[in-house]
Amino acid sequence: MDLKVNGQLMALPELASDAAMPLLWVLRDGLNLTGTKFGCGVAACGACTVHVDGQALRSCVTPLGAVAGKAVTTIEGLAAKDHPHALQLAWLAEQVPQCGYCQSGMLMAAAALLAKNRNPSDADIDAAMTNLCRCGTYPRVRAAIKQAAKGLKR
Amino acid sequence: VKRRTLLLSGLGVAGALIVGWGLMPPRSRLGDARTLPPGDGEVGLNGWIKIAADGSVLLAMNRSEMGQGVHTALAQLVAEELDVPLGTVRLTAAGHDAIYGNVAASMGNLPFGPRDHERRAFKLSAWVTAKLARELGLNLTGGSSTTADAWDALRLAAATARAQLLGAAGLKHKLPVAELTVKHGVIHHASGALSHYGDVAAQAALTPPGSVVLKPRSQWTQIGQPLPRIDLAAKVDGSARYGLDVREPGQVFAAIRHCPMLGGGLGPANVDAVRARPGALRVVALGPIAGSTAAYAVVARTTWHALEAAKVLDVAWQAPPGGRVESAAVLEALEAEARRAHAAGEGFAFLKQGDAKAALAGAATRLEAVYSAPYLAHATMEPMNCTAQVRDGHVTVWAPTQVPGFARDIAARVAGVAPEDVTVHVTYLGGGFGRRLDVDFIGQAVRVALEMGGLPVQLVWSREEDMTHDFYRPAEVAVLQAGLDAAGQPVALAITNAADSMLPRWAERVMPGLATALDVLNRNAFPDDRAAAALFMRGDAPDKTASEGLFDLAYAIPNARIAHQPTRSGVPVGMWRSVGHSHHAFFKEGFIDELAHAAKADPVAFRLALLEGLPRHQAVLQRAAEAAGWGQRPPAGVARGVALHESFGSIVAQVLEVVKDKGQPRVRRVVCVIDCGTVVNPAIVVRQMESGIVFGLTAALWGRIDIVGSEVQQKNFPGHPLLTLAQCPVIETHLMDSDGPATGVGEPATPPVAPALANAWFALTGERRRSLPLIG
Repeated sequence: MDLKVNGQLMALPELASDAAMPLLWVLRDGLNLTGTKFGCGVAACGACTVHVDGQALRSCVTPLGAVAGKAVTTIEGLAAKDHPHALQLAWLAEQVPQCGYCQSGMLMAAAALLAKNRNPSDADIDAAMTNLCRCGTYPRVRAAIKQAAKGLKR
Repeated sequence: VKRRTLLLSGLGVAGALIVGWGLMPPRSRLGDARTLPPGDGEVGLNGWIKIAADGSVLLAMNRSEMGQGVHTALAQLVAEELDVPLGTVRLTAAGHDAIYGNVAASMGNLPFGPRDHERRAFKLSAWVTAKLARELGLNLTGGSSTTADAWDALRLAAATARAQLLGAAGLKHKLPVAELTVKHGVIHHASGALSHYGDVAAQAALTPPGSVVLKPRSQWTQIGQPLPRIDLAAKVDGSARYGLDVREPGQVFAAIRHCPMLGGGLGPANVDAVRARPGALRVVALGPIAGSTAAYAVVARTTWHALEAAKVLDVAWQAPPGGRVESAAVLEALEAEARRAHAAGEGFAFLKQGDAKAALAGAATRLEAVYSAPYLAHATMEPMNCTAQVRDGHVTVWAPTQVPGFARDIAARVAGVAPEDVTVHVTYLGGGFGRRLDVDFIGQAVRVALEMGGLPVQLVWSREEDMTHDFYRPAEVAVLQAGLDAAGQPVALAITNAADSMLPRWAERVMPGLATALDVLNRNAFPDDRAAAALFMRGDAPDKTASEGLFDLAYAIPNARIAHQPTRSGVPVGMWRSVGHSHHAFFKEGFIDELAHAAKADPVAFRLALLEGLPRHQAVLQRAAEAAGWGQRPPAGVARGVALHESFGSIVAQVLEVVKDKGQPRVRRVVCVIDCGTVVNPAIVVRQMESGIVFGLTAALWGRIDIVGSEVQQKNFPGHPLLTLAQCPVIETHLMDSDGPATGVGEPATPPVAPALANAWFALTGERRRSLPLIG
């Protein structure tokens, strides 16, 4: 079975080709894409957020069978190495991450928000950013999203 | 009497030895090239610094990066002294030599208050402790001690290396060293650029440093600057490697199912059925390891196959031998014990001054209150995990750990090898908060790896296992009593808290061979009239963490007795961000607010008066009050609350603005001021304040772990809410200018949050809340 991940059609190893296997583990254990994180396994924390056809999805509860034929984007594919996403630049400018474990999911959730809404209000950010962060990076996440949005407007 | 008890302390069990050995000069923490073996093309100059052929600097990193920014802060100290850009400092793993141990963490555990530091007996006790900690070399990242510990050692290592490099350049170019300068790692003379560090490193290793002078503050260009963190590029593109991201050739994965009852045991299980599940390889029974509850581990080809197979496990679990534990009953028992011990004048008095009993009896106004706090989980975003491989008598461990030395020890004990036959790779930590001071999950991984014929195995705890098998912040109840004179001045304070001791329980788990030595040390840590009581205390030695934040009182109250009554609840307890301060600040600052109210005084003015003689505390509180607009009427429906608390050497004041939202408190703004001495990186300090505040708000609003029949009831985030982005208040942080010693920043913002919130709620509603959490 093949899966389109970060623009490439990838052959799934036999041990990661069960249709019931959550996309999170297909990525992490089957394809060695470990940037997407395991936090809770019940779609509560958002550390596992990826894009499926551009939509932010929690990969820990999304079975492989549900993404067949769809395009999956992970943090590794959010931008080309030498052309960082506006959010990644804003994240560095605001010095957002602390332990950093939840930040892949935060960035993917924020990228899906900005793709739909280039000028999000505080309420839009509140509604879209439901990812949990134990280090308390929330004030910086909010500021970085606004900064990236400002850059997109120009 | 004082002299006799002092003598008694000095000649206590370890005392005679300590005095003799204490007269020897302290050992250097510089190390040498053998302490930090150089790789290809590298030259080692001491135990901390190597120079690569391209002139870049390699720094031996002995502390764990769990979000608090220490990798950057320590590299910044070295970059400053070596005159190199921060970006050219690369990190290399420090080994297990005692120079990498944490002296400052031991100093932070001395039972002193803010008014003790200048007393001679305390200075002597601190000196002995520092020397002993240097000998022991216990390596841990915790106690908000990293910068304080590295401050002298790393700057000296870098300055020594620089002196050797300059000396070598002087020889090479036949120029006086005094005429040489360094810019961006390149050695210059008036005549122009001469060499980079790599060109002269080999010669430098043979060149004595001469007299080494640290850069004066006036010449700092990096210390004090908000330089970008060196770990963040990897944390925004997914490449940062945490424990769960370890991928070794042939690696298999293991899920775990502990007995749901804390401290319970294993019974017969459907092992064959589990092994028959797709991808499953093996089921391993795990007895208690380093304080863990017994468990089964299920090894499989992927994490998912392991987690799925583990769900099928059907076990006749055994109840804990000491009987089942109910947290509600524990809290009731703690209250009864606190009341009984308080009335009887029992418990270990960490602070005893004047005559609290008599002063209370004679007071014009008396107040009494009972405060309590629940068990709390750490809930790091990265669940507990460890990867281990046992092959040809050698153990390799990849672990997100705060204690690499104890990790090595448990791996060696479990595998039955010498510590020298264990290699520990410390990964990034997806949060620590004290949970990763424990090594249960490391011992478990090694135990499973022993069964796997040399394959590397990654043990992964599900969120449910992580939340239900933590070492919890202890539940606690305290009785607080105070007396005011007719003018409203506090004349007496008596506090007795009943709680499990944390430090002895932790020491038994992670350093069983040294737990007794630690007990002896803690009994000998009191240089005054507490010495005899400490020496002869039954059970555990006095645990400073069980009273910190109460006995180390900044407020000048002439008659005080502040005591801890140790209990054994049967629940596994551990260190949780800010440790004893986490709940004691709530008790103390809530009660002080009650006294201010009883005295009909403004809460800020009331505290300022009691802080006479401590100008740093006063300045922090005043700054917070000004920044928050204290004294100006808040908008309708908004109330302010204040708290001031010192922990880990730093003083923090916070003012919270609270509104009532659907009958519940909601925080809309936090003003935070910290005096943490010299600031190495203000951007990191500001973010650590935000971090500690969010952590404290989660705990104050919803944080609780309930235990029924020894089973933890909160199992995952839906039932254990964390503050969300939408709920996060505006946070404003101000740093005090200081040239004092650098003190803690990772934890001190957490303690004042809960009391400032409860005090604001009182101002808003007139309802005094004395137990946590405030909601639910």
